[in-house]
Amino acid sequence: MKVNVKVYGTLRDKFPDYIDSTGIEIELPEGATVHDLLSNLKISESQGAVVTMDYRILKNDFSIPKNAEVQVLQTVHSG
Amino acid sequence: MKFIRVNMSNKTIKVDDVPEKYEGLGGRSLTSTIVNEEVPPKCDPLGPENKLIFAPGTLSGTTMINTSRISVGSKSPLTGGIKESNAGGTIGAAVAKLGIAAIVIEGKAPEGEFHLLQIDIDGNVALSPAEEYKGMRTYKTVEGLLEKYGKKNSVMCIGPAGEFLLKSSSIQASDVDGRPCRAAGRGGLGAVMGSKGLKALVVAQGGKEKAPVADPERFKKAVKEIIDAIKEDPFSGQVMPNLGTAALVAPVNSMGGFPTYNGRQGVLEGWEKISGEAIAEIIKKRGGNTTHMGCSQCIIHCSNEYVDEKGKYVTSSLEYETIWAIGGMSGVVDIDTIAQFDFMCDDIGLDTMNTGVAIAVAMDSGYREFGDKKAVIEMTEEIAQGTEFGRILGNGPASVGKHFNNPRVPVVKNQSIAAYDPRALQGNGVTYATTPMGADHTAANLVGAYIGQQLDPLSPEGQVEASRNLQYTMAVADATGMCMMAALSLLSPEASEAFRSAISAKTGKEIKPEDFPSAMGIQIIKTEKEFNRKAGLTNKDDRLPDMFTKEPLPPHNTVFKISDEELDLTFNF
Repeated sequence: MKVNVKVYGTLRDKFPDYIDSTGIEIELPEGATVHDLLSNLKISESQGAVVTMDYRILKNDFSIPKNAEVQVLQTVHSG
Repeated sequence: MKFIRVNMSNKTIKVDDVPEKYEGLGGRSLTSTIVNEEVPPKCDPLGPENKLIFAPGTLSGTTMINTSRISVGSKSPLTGGIKESNAGGTIGAAVAKLGIAAIVIEGKAPEGEFHLLQIDIDGNVALSPAEEYKGMRTYKTVEGLLEKYGKKNSVMCIGPAGEFLLKSSSIQASDVDGRPCRAAGRGGLGAVMGSKGLKALVVAQGGKEKAPVADPERFKKAVKEIIDAIKEDPFSGQVMPNLGTAALVAPVNSMGGFPTYNGRQGVLEGWEKISGEAIAEIIKKRGGNTTHMGCSQCIIHCSNEYVDEKGKYVTSSLEYETIWAIGGMSGVVDIDTIAQFDFMCDDIGLDTMNTGVAIAVAMDSGYREFGDKKAVIEMTEEIAQGTEFGRILGNGPASVGKHFNNPRVPVVKNQSIAAYDPRALQGNGVTYATTPMGADHTAANLVGAYIGQQLDPLSPEGQVEASRNLQYTMAVADATGMCMMAALSLLSPEASEAFRSAISAKTGKEIKPEDFPSAMGIQIIKTEKEFNRKAGLTNKDDRLPDMFTKEPLPPHNTVFKISDEELDLTFNF
């Protein structure tokens, strides 16, 4: 299934050809979880990565629906 | 350590040892204790009975990284209660290295008279007339003072807003490059400084009197552990040095909690154009600096230098809360306008949050359209000019709401909220309501706990406890002079233990692990609440305005759900 991923924070440095307006389109097996998504992108949870969809932070075992648009963010504590 | 009292009524200066009752205190713990002990709680905040206290933290002036913060304490003309607002830059370390624990400004100069307070490298303290700086904005003031006294000085000063005694006025502090772009922004303390007739404080850097450390070896070990913790944390080690606090634009919008159009929605259309990532791209393209050291002894470098299309300096540092106040609340999706507003606030001596939200309330009242770039600049300039409307605006969102008879004013104790909507980040609402400071995100910002999935931001469960515990931690950080960005990277058990060890090693008084940080934090907040009670504030002041409890916030369409009874349990002492 296709998933559209927008990446934020310093995680973007991993994707030199990243285009802000389109993000990245990746192919995942149906039923893939947040953990699978991060593994596919080679983003380690130790980088403080979290995934949001529809304005909610997703748990690692959450199954991502097909054609989803998700955001990969880093943990930040304050401004 | 020395304790300096300056009486502005009769221009006397007394330098003594720290009184026994204040020994071992620093930063917020010292300013709040002095205010509670010495300021008549019902006094006029702009009258001679109020005091303005400058105190570096207990760790400032040592080799501990990220501790060049200075607390400024007083009775606030904005909230009517106690206030501690702290600033970075270089002055915290400079004051501490001269062996000074506190500078207490008392009395009041005759109206219209302004003075400079200078402390030289030998610790000599002198007051001198500041006629030539009267009415001057802060960049020009600091430039003139550093030219006169030398670049190896740190400055804190007020601009026109402080001289006009406006309730959103800040006290600006010079950064490493000698620019007044750091601020003790909140609570209208610039007006207190203005009421005293003090235009600026000039302090020599590089004092030889090292802040004493009781156990140097243990302290050195703790410093190393803290450096390691800060570098290893992706927040302080990666995100802050590359994107600064603007990195929060993406996550808070992605959580639906970015207060937009004066809190009418939780996501700003086009937020990507003013995100940390977009700003970093613009800065790089124009030849500015995406990472910059703003404060002495900083290892995080969360600051930036924003430049215009020709590469000319506009402002430093362009921060998340300012981006939100104009970008989100006022709907201006234009980073150049936001940067110009940021510079103007620093130069006029204004809190960017209280001012940006005041503009948003005026727009919400129909005075101008949301998104009107020109109006933002014109309205801000009106404050500097001291026009009638400029003074209404410069007194903050509550003043503007009253003027337009608009009840949609996002404040607690008259101080504006910050860039986290309490309907989508419930615990931040607990913090806004219950901190003795008025709505203040720095008292306990739970956004990291939400993103880290330790807590559900939309559920009322666990929010009171989470806010309470973090308020204790932050109160301790504010007492030590440790910057918030570093302190929030010291929340793991190991890093927290290093922080406890550092404070114990510095003072020579062992803090029991079970007392850290809660017992220290309780003592500080108890003192502050005691002052507020005596000043006439009650639990009715510890409430969010109706707009947060009655108007659902899209996209989650939730309201603030924590009951009054639960809020009152936050600090039931």
